[in-house]
Amino acid sequence: MLDHLSLMVLHGLLIAVFFSFLWKRDKKERWHYFWKVFGALVVGAIVLGWVMYPFPLS
Amino acid sequence: MVEPGKPVGMSLPLPVLLGLAWFVPGLGHVLLGRRLRAVVFFIVIVVGFLAGLFLDGELMVPHPGDPLSYLATIASVGNGLLFFIARGVGLGQGVVTSASYEFGNTFLLTAGMMNLLLVLDAHDIATGKKDW
Repeated sequence: MLDHLSLMVLHGLLIAVFFSFLWKRDKKERWHYFWKVFGALVVGAIVLGWVMYPFPLS
Repeated sequence: MVEPGKPVGMSLPLPVLLGLAWFVPGLGHVLLGRRLRAVVFFIVIVVGFLAGLFLDGELMVPHPGDPLSYLATIASVGNGLLFFIARGVGLGQGVVTSASYEFGNTFLLTAGMMNLLLVLDAHDIATGKKDW
């Protein structure tokens, strides 16, 4: 539970739930927005991690 | 005097409503009649806050000579009652050597910032800028 990925997923989950309820009114809009934010946070961080993987160049 | 059918929060002075909204996460929305959203916000903020404490995060207080600690303090105090309870019982001191220290800080600071956003949302609802 304490590995980085799990913590990142939990954090992304909390943020996505929060903003989908803060900014979207109906259920369908909230689900759509939730997946968009959650996906952006989790997938985005993984992609960014791989992009940074070769650095620093040795 | 509370008008029938009108949420209690609408008849409170705005600063009092905003103070209550800050003090207990979701309370502003309860008082404004947004109960479902209030419950969701309360759960999200409390879970984030407890995760931060569990991960050895630090509830920031100002450190002389460290300007960023003042900003972090605003975010930490943004947790309202949770901040004062945790500090009161000696939690949230932060374990700098812990592997999860930075993760804990992130959870604690984002929980506080989310609660501050709820205060702004409560303001918008109370002043009629947001009708839902």
